[in-house]
Amino acid sequence: MTQASSSELIVGEQTDAGLSERLLGTTYRAWAKPWRLAFAVTGAGTLGLLFCVAYTIDRGIGVWGNDIPVAWAFGIINFVWWIGIGHAGTFISAILYIFEQRWRASINRFAEAMTLFAVAQAALFPLLHLGRPWFAYWLFPYPATMQVWPQIKSALPWDAAAISTYGSVSLMFWYLGLIPDLGALRDTAPGRIRRRVYGLLALGWRGSERAVHHYRSAYLLLAGLATPLVLSVHSVVSTDFAMALTPGWHSTIFPPYFVAGAIFSGFAMVLTLIIPVRALFRMESVITLRHIENCAKLVLTTGLMVSYGYIIEYFLAWYSGSDFELEQFFVARPSGPGSALFYLMLAGNVVAPQLLWSARIRRNLVALFLLSLLINAGMWAERFVIIVLSLQREFMVSKWESYTPTWVDLGILGGTLCFFSFLFLLFLRFVPFVSASEVKELRHELADAHDHGTGA
Amino acid sequence: MKTSLLVEFGDAASLARALRTLRPRSELTLDAYTPYSSEEVREALALPPSRLPRVVFGAACIGAAAAYALEWYTTAYLYPVNVGGRPLHMPLAFVPITFEMGVLAASVTALVGALALGKLVKLWDPVFEIAGFEAASVDRFWLRVDAAGALDSAALEAELEPAKPIRYLVLEDEG
Repeated sequence: MTQASSSELIVGEQTDAGLSERLLGTTYRAWAKPWRLAFAVTGAGTLGLLFCVAYTIDRGIGVWGNDIPVAWAFGIINFVWWIGIGHAGTFISAILYIFEQRWRASINRFAEAMTLFAVAQAALFPLLHLGRPWFAYWLFPYPATMQVWPQIKSALPWDAAAISTYGSVSLMFWYLGLIPDLGALRDTAPGRIRRRVYGLLALGWRGSERAVHHYRSAYLLLAGLATPLVLSVHSVVSTDFAMALTPGWHSTIFPPYFVAGAIFSGFAMVLTLIIPVRALFRMESVITLRHIENCAKLVLTTGLMVSYGYIIEYFLAWYSGSDFELEQFFVARPSGPGSALFYLMLAGNVVAPQLLWSARIRRNLVALFLLSLLINAGMWAERFVIIVLSLQREFMVSKWESYTPTWVDLGILGGTLCFFSFLFLLFLRFVPFVSASEVKELRHELADAHDHGTGA
Repeated sequence: MKTSLLVEFGDAASLARALRTLRPRSELTLDAYTPYSSEEVREALALPPSRLPRVVFGAACIGAAAAYALEWYTTAYLYPVNVGGRPLHMPLAFVPITFEMGVLAASVTALVGALALGKLVKLWDPVFEIAGFEAASVDRFWLRVDAAGALDSAALEAELEPAKPIRYLVLEDEG
């Protein structure tokens, strides 16, 4: 696999001590100016989110734009979009680990943090959409004195189980991977307070092989468990739609199509985040062009799966011969209210990824960054098309309506973008975002392979 | 009083060599402290396979069974609602939650099990008192030898000399 220098996983001669200092040092080196500016802006946006959430809880969800027939709008669009973004993190940390893809070592923690924060944003929407979020615990089968329990035969309690499991497993997987680096920070971070805090979080990690032995086993098991889990999560989310009879929803292609779309949008978000972070923290030596190119290739692959999903959707609508399906796919989507988003969806998810066939674009950071933004927008538009455009044109013409979001809807969407970035900036400052122990292990494996002349 | 010998090495290969030297001596308990997991060291230490997977499998089965039982108990037994004549006990619809809870139980057990079996979650350990042991999380490799009876550190040191250690240290634990 040894190719030209641009395809290396670790650039330049590095020592273990140098790598430790470089990768762990992000938690104690001086804060860069762009970081502070971004922190202030996203902090203000987070306050805006809190305001919109408080306003929604105080007045009720009547302040949102959804109404009959579009009873599900931004609340579900944003939920599905954020959950989807999280999927790439688990794909990198679990699926690539099982397939022994070495290039995951320097981006897995980063991507897992993205997952955690994206799931946190996603969880907000169903909670608020309940209308009375203080009764959210009714979703779980607690010993209720009213003797009413969740309807297990509905896809919505499946969702509650899938999302809460996904969030918890992602958090445990991330934390488990973090423990060795927390131990290293306890040993090397400057200042007593830092050492105390990281020491507590490291849970007494000593790097003892007898502990590592079980630790590695647990890590592999969690990777193995997270793999079917991540595939199940968006499949369950898609059944929220596929089990309903609404034209545009009632389709068996939904689970694989949703999972591909989720990983597609997640990798786009990985690129959106990693390109500026890599430059800001000067991580070019461990997050190399090879990593970025690999992410771009996965965007292309999953993008093609999404395009295939669109083709099958259209084919099935035509093949079904159902008037309602035909109306939905051939009239409402290309020319109904909100059809601009249908074209944004095609531009972002079908056309834009085709540019990634070119190696020059895959290595051009500015082009990739812009492309990743377009794909993120395209995937958001896809969820808008599926949810809003379908509900606007259901069976009875007398029920046809068009949907407009309110400022609260837009405020909450913008607010979650800020809150997500805010959490991510905090993560970049206080947690080593490239795993020092895994990169050092990788460096040794590459060096050993080189010594033995087997290539890396 | 328990005595342990700690030996510092500059790289994984030397540590692995020292481990291989002492490996046949069954009266000694060996351990290694490393900054990152090295295949060479793992092979030299040759620990028996972890018990964790079996424990996790058990937890997954219990979690999944408990979830299925709860689904049946609430929807088919305690609060049966007839929706359009659909069966009350509907195995297919019970699958997603059964699966998720199996995964959740297994994951919690994997995390807690790894910490428990690895004797983690402690605030202090005698090795933290050693000056320079911090490097074990950066670029130094330590060997730890514990003996059932008295530890003849001088003899061990002579035996380990070919592996070129950086220094030896005798650790005395009051507990």
